[in-house]
Amino acid sequence: MTEEQKKSFWQNMKEILYGMASHDMSRYALRTRASMEHLFILITMGDMIGIPILPPYYSLRLLPYVVPQISTWKRRLLREKDVSDAMF
Amino acid sequence: MNTLWIVILATVVIYAAYNFYAKRIDRDIIKADPKKATPAKMYMDGVDFMPTSRNVLYGYHFKSIAAAGPIVGPITAANIWGWAPALLWLLIGVSFIGWVSDYTAIMVAVRNDGNSLSAISHKLIAPRTRSILFVFIFFYLLLVAGAFMGIMSALMAARPDVPFGILMLGIMGFLAGQMLYKWKMDLIVVTAIVVVVTIAAMVFGPFGATVNPETKAMQWQGPINGAVVAFNGAVNKITGGNAVMTVYDPTNADPRIPAPGADGKRPSTAVYDAETGAIKTMPAYLFWALFILAFSYLAATLPIWRFAQPVNYIGFWITLITIGLSALGAVLAPILGTTAVNAAGETVKVADFALKPLITWGFAYDPTKAWQPLWPMLFVTIACGSISGWHALIGSIGTARQLEYETDGLPVGGGAMFTENTLGLLSLVAVSIVGTGGGAGRFAAGVGTLLTVLFGPGFKTFGTALGFGAFMVIVLTVTQLIFRVMRVTLSEWVGEAVPAFKNMHISTITSMVLTMLLVLTGTWVYLWQLFGAANQLMAALSLLIVTVWLREQKKNPSFALWPTVFMYVTTLAATLVTARNLYATIVPKGGAAAAGAWAMIVIAILLFVTALVIGWDGYNAYQRYAKGGTTQKAPAAAD
Repeated sequence: MTEEQKKSFWQNMKEILYGMASHDMSRYALRTRASMEHLFILITMGDMIGIPILPPYYSLRLLPYVVPQISTWKRRLLREKDVSDAMF
Repeated sequence: MNTLWIVILATVVIYAAYNFYAKRIDRDIIKADPKKATPAKMYMDGVDFMPTSRNVLYGYHFKSIAAAGPIVGPITAANIWGWAPALLWLLIGVSFIGWVSDYTAIMVAVRNDGNSLSAISHKLIAPRTRSILFVFIFFYLLLVAGAFMGIMSALMAARPDVPFGILMLGIMGFLAGQMLYKWKMDLIVVTAIVVVVTIAAMVFGPFGATVNPETKAMQWQGPINGAVVAFNGAVNKITGGNAVMTVYDPTNADPRIPAPGADGKRPSTAVYDAETGAIKTMPAYLFWALFILAFSYLAATLPIWRFAQPVNYIGFWITLITIGLSALGAVLAPILGTTAVNAAGETVKVADFALKPLITWGFAYDPTKAWQPLWPMLFVTIACGSISGWHALIGSIGTARQLEYETDGLPVGGGAMFTENTLGLLSLVAVSIVGTGGGAGRFAAGVGTLLTVLFGPGFKTFGTALGFGAFMVIVLTVTQLIFRVMRVTLSEWVGEAVPAFKNMHISTITSMVLTMLLVLTGTWVYLWQLFGAANQLMAALSLLIVTVWLREQKKNPSFALWPTVFMYVTTLAATLVTARNLYATIVPKGGAAAAGAWAMIVIAILLFVTALVIGWDGYNAYQRYAKGGTTQKAPAAAD
C-alpha cells in the first residue's frame, strides 16, 4: 500500500465515521440556521419588493446579506412538501 | 456449525450479491450516470439538498437504518424456528430484496427531483395513495414504539445492571449538549468524557457482587445492582407485592418469561406463573415504563441539540464499541479455539453453536394455540437485516437529496444495507452460541461470551452487562426519535382538523398514551410481529412504487416486481395470521389482555385494508403504464 493509498484509506474511514457520528447533527444545525435566515429574509421582504418597512438605513445595511440567500430561500419555501418531509 | 463458517458464508454471499447482481442492475437497468445532475446539485439549498461525499453518506445512511430491528428480529426468529431458517432468510433476503429496496428507494427519489415516496406515489399511482400512506405510517410508528417500549420496560425491571447505565446515559446526554453547544468544548474531549463515563456505568453494574462459592447462589448484588434491586422491591411494595395486571404470551417470547431449565420446563418467577402462563405486570415494570416515557418525552420536546442528539451521539459510540469488539471476538473465537463454561457447567468452545439449526417448521395447526408457520411469519419476524420499509422512507427523504453522483446510489444504499445485514448475522451468531435464554438476554449473554475471547473469562459478567446496556441504548435511541417523528406526524396529520394537536406537548403525550395502552395490554411477540408486518408492508409498498416507476420508464421491472409480489403476499398473510393468533390465544383470556388484543386486531385490519387499497391502485397504475399511459398531473401544493 503506497503512502497515498494509506492516506486515502484513513480519509475514507474518517469520512465514514463522521457520517455515522456527526453528519446528522451538522444537518440539524444547518437547518436551524436556515430557519433563522428565512425569518431574516421575511423581515427585509418589504424593502426587497419596494415597500419601506424598516428605516432605510437598516435596510441598506441588511440587504447585502439577504440578497445572496434569495434563490435558496425561494427553493426551500416553494418546494412541495408533505408530512414525510417533516419526519427526518 | 461455528462462527467461522458464518463469517465465510456471509463474505461469499455478500460479495457475490453486490458484485454480480447489484452492480449489474445498477449498470444495465437503472443506468446510473455520473454525468447526470442529481437533485442535490440541481436544487442545492445548503441544507436538505446538498451534495455530500459518498463515504459520509454511507455512514449517515447506515447509522439511520441500523437500529434494534437487526438484533431483536434474528434473536426472536432463532428462538422460534432455529438458526438455519433465520440465517437463510437473512442472506437470501438481503441479496435479492433488501438491497433492492434501499437502493431503488434512493434512485427513484433521485430521478424524481428528490421527492418523497408519498409524493412520487401521488404522481405515479393515485392521489389517494399519499393520504393512505400517512395513515399507514402513523400506525406503523405506533407499533414500532409499542414493541420497543415493551421490551425495554421488561429489561429495566428485570435486570438490575441496566437502569443505572441508562440513567447515566440521560445525564451524560444533557452534559454533552451543554458542553458542546453552550460551553463550546472540544468534540474529542467531550466524547471521551461522556462515552467513558456511560460505558463504565453500564459495565460496572455487577461490580462488587459476591457469590457463595459452594452453592453458586448470589450473596450480594454489589452496590449498584443492590441499590436497583432494593428500589424495585420498594416500588413493588406499593401494591403489597401484587401484580397491577396480568397478560399472556402463548409463544413464550415475552422478555419477562424465564428460559427453560435443565429439565426443559420454565420455572415460575416473581413475575411469571409457569402453571397458568400468566405474566404479572408489577409496579416496578410500570415505573420503568414511565421512566422510559419521560426520557423519550424530553427527547421529543426539548430542542434536539439539548438532549436527543447528544444521547444518540453517545449511543452511537457505545454501540460501535460493543458491536465492533463482539465481531472481533466472533472472528477470533474459532481461530483461537477459546473455551467457556456454559449454563449447564460444561466446558464448550465459544465459537460452536449451541442452538438447534431447526426447532420447528411451525405448520402444525391447533385452533387453540398460537400458530407460527415458517411462511409467512419468519419473514416478518426478521425485518431489518433482510429488508425494511424504514430504510426506504429514510433513503428517499434523507439520503437521496444528498447524493452527489447517481453512481454513489449503490455503494451508499446497497452498501449500507449489506452492512446492516452483517449486524443481523452477528446477532444471530451471538444468540446461537449461547443456546439458552430469552430475547435480549441471549444477545447480551452472546456479547458477554464473545468479549471473553478478548478480555478473558473473568469479563463475562461485565461483558453481559455491557451487552444489555448496548441493546437498551440501540432500542432507546430509536424509540425517542420515533416519538419525535410521531409527534410531528400527528400534528401535521390531525393538526389541521384538531388544532390542539399542533401543540407539541399534546401530540407527544397522545402518542405516548396510545403506545402505553398497547404495551400494557398487548402481547409482546404479536406486537413485534405486527410491527414486522407493517414494516415489511411499507417495504413492499416502496417496492411497488419503484416497480410502477420502472414500468412507466419502460425499463425491465422484474428485479423489483418479484420481490414486491413476494413481500406483499407474505406480509398480508402474516398480518392475518397475527390477527388470528391474537383472536385465538389472547381474546379468550378476557380482561385487559383481551382489550389489548382487540386493539391490535383492529390495527392489523386497518393495515391490511390500506395495503389492499394501495396494492389495487398500484396494479391499475402498472397496467396503465404497460399500455403506454402517462403520469397524473402534477399535484397541487396544498393537497
